[in-house]
Amino acid sequence: MHLHWLPHSCLFFLTCFAALTARTWATSTSQDEQVSGFFGRHESGSGHTNNWAVLVCASRYWFNYRHMANALGMYRTVKRLGIPDSNIILMLADDVACNARNKFPGSVYAEAGRHLDLYGDNIEVDYRGYEVTVENFIRVLTGRMEPSVPRSKRLLTDDRSNIFVYMTGHGGNEFLKFQDNEEISAFDIADAFEQMWRKKRYNEIFFMIDTCQANTMYSQFYSPNILATGSSEIGENSYSHENDYDIGVSVIDSYTHYVLKLMEGINKTSQTSMQDLFASYDPVKIHSNAGVRSDLFQRPLDKALITDFFGGVAQAGVFPPDDPTAFVTTLKASEPALIISSAQLNAESHVTPSQSTSAVAPSGSYADEWSTQWKVARKWASITLLGLLVAWVSHR
Amino acid sequence: MVSWSLLVVPLVVLGGVWCEEYEEDLVLRPLRDGKVSSTFTFTTVLHGADPAQHYTLFPLPLGQILREYAITELHLSLNAGKWNYDAWGYPEHPAVPTGAELWAWMPDGAASTIDDRWAGLRNALAGLFCASLGSLDHRRTSSPVQAYPLQSSHIPSAPHHLRHATLPSEHVCTENLTPFLKLLPCKSRAGLARLLNPQRLFDADWHGLGVHVLSTEGGGVEMKLVVQAVFDPVRLSGGKRRDWSFQSLFDRTINAACPVASSSSVRVFLPEEQIFSLSPEPEPQPSDESQPRDESQPHDESQPHDKSLAIYDVPTLVSHGPLDVAMQWTTEHAFQYPPPLSIQRTLHGTSQAHGALACTLTNRGPAPLRVGYLETLPALVTLWAHTIRVEVGGVGRDDLLTDLIYHPSHSPSPFSSHSSSPSSSSSPQTHAHAHTHTHGPSPSLLQATLTLPPYSTLRLTAELSRAFLRYTEHPPDAMRGWDLPGAVFFPVPVPGSTDSASSFNANHSAPTFNHSARTDSTYAQTDEAHAHIHTLPYRMHTPALLADLPTPDFSMPYNVIILSCTLVTLIFGSVFNVLTRGWVVVEV
Repeated sequence: MHLHWLPHSCLFFLTCFAALTARTWATSTSQDEQVSGFFGRHESGSGHTNNWAVLVCASRYWFNYRHMANALGMYRTVKRLGIPDSNIILMLADDVACNARNKFPGSVYAEAGRHLDLYGDNIEVDYRGYEVTVENFIRVLTGRMEPSVPRSKRLLTDDRSNIFVYMTGHGGNEFLKFQDNEEISAFDIADAFEQMWRKKRYNEIFFMIDTCQANTMYSQFYSPNILATGSSEIGENSYSHENDYDIGVSVIDSYTHYVLKLMEGINKTSQTSMQDLFASYDPVKIHSNAGVRSDLFQRPLDKALITDFFGGVAQAGVFPPDDPTAFVTTLKASEPALIISSAQLNAESHVTPSQSTSAVAPSGSYADEWSTQWKVARKWASITLLGLLVAWVSHR
Repeated sequence: MVSWSLLVVPLVVLGGVWCEEYEEDLVLRPLRDGKVSSTFTFTTVLHGADPAQHYTLFPLPLGQILREYAITELHLSLNAGKWNYDAWGYPEHPAVPTGAELWAWMPDGAASTIDDRWAGLRNALAGLFCASLGSLDHRRTSSPVQAYPLQSSHIPSAPHHLRHATLPSEHVCTENLTPFLKLLPCKSRAGLARLLNPQRLFDADWHGLGVHVLSTEGGGVEMKLVVQAVFDPVRLSGGKRRDWSFQSLFDRTINAACPVASSSSVRVFLPEEQIFSLSPEPEPQPSDESQPRDESQPHDESQPHDKSLAIYDVPTLVSHGPLDVAMQWTTEHAFQYPPPLSIQRTLHGTSQAHGALACTLTNRGPAPLRVGYLETLPALVTLWAHTIRVEVGGVGRDDLLTDLIYHPSHSPSPFSSHSSSPSSSSSPQTHAHAHTHTHGPSPSLLQATLTLPPYSTLRLTAELSRAFLRYTEHPPDAMRGWDLPGAVFFPVPVPGSTDSASSFNANHSAPTFNHSARTDSTYAQTDEAHAHIHTLPYRMHTPALLADLPTPDFSMPYNVIILSCTLVTLIFGSVFNVLTRGWVVVEV
């Protein structure tokens, strides 16, 4: 007899409940959207919070002017796009700006018209002259330094750092010459990167090299999250682009010239992706077949922005304060160590509610327990409600 | 809130004025050979120790380094080119060796050892000034206490130790100037530093940067940042004129004064008996009113400052418009007072194993000249002290060489723990050697006193051997040769002299930076009884030399490896074949 208003009441409860959940869901999503929209304006899924650049010119002597100009061109670009001097390690194996043969003292130009002085009046060279050695380069990457080495000479990266590594010089099959008396091999760099990965010294690396047979230099990489590109294939030379007859030597290499040309059109808010950069390679203009290696890189190339590596665009990750698992899910699936730690975290959070001795648990975890219990209760209530509804409909 | 801030602001201002002072000074001097020497001095004085290091004018990065390594006195210079004493006279500031020179006096009593602090200081300054000072290791470090005495006016009582090192091949360029300018309160945007245009500064015939830190009483610190450059207006003008102006020398003018500078002045030395015009007109100088900065430096009675010096006060002039000091000549003139001593130092010998070092000193003066002579040679050349010969006009005069001290190179390095206290600075030979280093030979140190007869040329020669290095010890550009640091000629006490300029007493303020007179009276004057012996007023440096060492064929190890591998393969292969192969007749 009384059952005749049961469906109505059920319906009423259901609508109330639906309205409540919809409202909470809507408010929480709009807040999340706002917050993540504010912090993640430039978010391209890389998950980095800081940018670093290591720019190496490994060649000595005046006639290698163009290698200094290559590295300084990259220096200008990363500085223009917002990476500060403290985050740039610039290694120049010789001093062409104040070289006695330089007709334009204190200036380095990268094009024949000499419109843009790359040296300028604000430059900090961290390693120069004889300090540019294979040992120092590996030490910079791996962070194994004497305690007294100043901060400006260190690569103080963490596991949220995106690093742009640019190298130029004279090289060959799987080696790059440093200063005409030693070489770094592709294996050395690959091992250094692996060491960096194990020590959580990077989030992603973009490796660019302009030398003869450059593509062999990244062939040995085996660490994750590395995107690599080089100027020429095995057996190919990389050529210089143009001479300046007042300076008297070649002023820039062809590959770097065309990369920098593209970079000049990019600003901090640019959405140009790595795919666009690689698509701009023209073997006819460059006179060599520039290569790309992206199998170690986790993200699609059209989503990886150029400013993820060249720009100092600060990003902050946004995590809900009451959900420790969200922190884990946003991290990359390729980080085994972190997944283990997250599993331990989950296990702990599941174990603690069953233990009645919660006096030792801090208040924060107590609140977490309460919220998870409330979630469970809500879930079961909605299922019961749904079951009642189905029963009622089938009964009719 | 407003009243509170009104109360606080004057306190902060007063505190800043009392604790720290900043003044800047530019000296321009037209030289005999038509060049113009310019010396920028930026002085920051910190009165009293500030344990919290809340500096407003003093640069914090340098303050932290001085605090961390407990430095009493620090001198760093980065220079390019050869200072031409013959044509340019003495520099405004005596630290003019080619390349990098770093020396520091450190007291005992800090937590870490002197050598640890020295290593830390080198690395910290290398990071601060973007220079390769980290490579100034024990192979380049010595402790010449006589030539580089303590200069601070107030020295803590603890015994002090000197560490000195040079890097003659070091370049100086914009990357050194950039951090240098960042130490100034107004950077290069206002004041005299506005003129420091890297494109022009590094185009100068001679240019250099210097950092000089001295201790003052009460734990205070005086820091001088010095930029010296010798410009060639004849070359810059593209013609024959040696007229110059700020615009022509620096391609800039001063359009704003640094507001925190307590004084900011441009001083131009005027050539004598010359027809020249100077614009703008210098301020009339009442002779009774002396500049406050002049009180600290010795006045020179023989040269009246009033007539030879034009002084501009930058803040007052800049308020009327950009300041562009210019000087024009109508006739050439001759510089009358070249330094009495002319030095040439060369390396002789065509052999790659042996050679000879020769110093030719010319005394142009009418009086005998007594100078100290210091050679700090890296271990790759060995100087043979018994072969030192002194000749005057082809006649052997070994009696002119006295007080010879020679510490040959050996490892571990022989750091004499020289104390700076005046009582023990008399005989450096007697000090105990502190063996602190583990590997690598130290430089050899040769020190002597030379007496030059008047109007004569003295020639000192010494034979040397060149080391045969392992091929991994060569620099990347081994064919260029190795840079040997320049020799140093320094003042020595002459009989009867009580002048502080030639005294070894470290507590005295020895040659002052701003000592600017350039006459015969810059000889240290002696009293009547010993009127004939003079000495130098300042240290003089010779240019660096290039030593040509036996250079191996760097591909030879690879050739040897390839050849021996081939031989091993051939021998092993044939022996293996003979031993394992069975020789049987196969029926077909």
